Amino acid sequence: MLGFALDDFMNPVSIKLFVELNFGFLIFAYWVFALPEKIQSSAALIYGLVIDLLFSNVIGFNMLFFITTSYIIHLYVFRFRIFSYFQLSVFFSGSSTIYTACKYLLLSPYNYSYIVLMVSFLITLVLWVGIYFVMRAFRRSFFSNL
Amino acid sequence: MARSTPTYTPVRNYAFGFILSVFLLFSDISYGTFAPLRGLVQASNLYAQMVSRSIFENVSNLLYSFKQNRNLTQENKDLKEQIHKIRTQEFIKSKEAEKSFEIINFQKTLISSLKSNDINIFKIASIDLRNYLCCSTHKIFLQNLNQVQVLENTPVFAGSSYVGQTKSTYLNFIEVILFSDTKHLLPIKSNFFYCDARGKGKPMLISCKLNKNIDDFQNKISDAIFTSGLGGIFLKDIEIGNISAINSISINEIEVVITLKTNPLEENFFGIIGSEADEI
Repeated sequence: MLGFALDDFMNPVSIKLFVELNFGFLIFAYWVFALPEKIQSSAALIYGLVIDLLFSNVIGFNMLFFITTSYIIHLYVFRFRIFSYFQLSVFFSGSSTIYTACKYLLLSPYNYSYIVLMVSFLITLVLWVGIYFVMRAFRRSFFSNL
Repeated sequence: MARSTPTYTPVRNYAFGFILSVFLLFSDISYGTFAPLRGLVQASNLYAQMVSRSIFENVSNLLYSFKQNRNLTQENKDLKEQIHKIRTQEFIKSKEAEKSFEIINFQKTLISSLKSNDINIFKIASIDLRNYLCCSTHKIFLQNLNQVQVLENTPVFAGSSYVGQTKSTYLNFIEVILFSDTKHLLPIKSNFFYCDARGKGKPMLISCKLNKNIDDFQNKISDAIFTSGLGGIFLKDIEIGNISAINSISINEIEVVITLKTNPLEENFFGIIGSEADEI
């Protein structure tokens, strides 16, 4: 929720630099990756619905992407565990870029831009590592029993 | 060997979620099905923001008013302190003026009564009030800040009459024994007798014993009593008090009680004649 609020706050500024940030999506993806047995399809569906209601212009978009991402992560979660940070970064920033691309294609096709997608991909590649370590520290501090 | 990793959720749940999401998305994009719901949520969101902003503003105003109130209270306190300070200063100034005026008046009285210009004026430092009101020892201490040389047994003047004699000096203070002290003897006279009056140990009272019949003192109450000057200490003919009572001790002995003219408790300044005046 905080991630999406941060996106809402930062994207009007960052888009001038051809960057579309997806903190909310990345944070959700991290938690599914970290706690796959806790966050399952229903959680992804409900979380997506809440995000759609609060931050999106259409109902169903975040639901669709969260459930899809959740499924893919669940499917390959143990393979991801042996991935390097770079490989994880590529996967999650790629997912984020697809999310952004679909958002533009479905909701704002006139503003679709490959530059935005490419720059966002590169920036997210770096951001993911930061999000990963911050979220992991947070999880270990407050949810160490999970 | 397994070809794929185990998953926690059955595929059908994801499939159901996927289909539901697609359906909702399609219906919303194509027909705006959830536009009222979105509008309601956005309106609620805005309303919550307005309410929270209003609460924040109210709290902020409240805090500001508290702060302003505190500032005003502090300012009020400062102003009150200033007023009090100014009033105190004015009071001190007026008292200083009164004091100067009182000293000048007293000096004039002394000069006219004692016919001497060599007079030192001292302010009272303390009076042994406990003993003065109950017991036989009646003393006061005068401030001698300029450390004026004062001889022992010099007469002390206050108000419009003598009140006692210097006894000794300690540092910057002069000890004065009052007439009402039981150890003090004062040569006095009236129109028809002389005697040495001794302090009675009571405020403003002295007495002397005479070998006379009480009948001789008919209608003598409130007669004026003067210093006789016989002791060589006090100037003569200075009025010191009045006869207040005449008590019969025996057939041919009476006690004449004299109430002194000056109450030392009411005086601030005491005059002592300088040594040159004594020699005159």
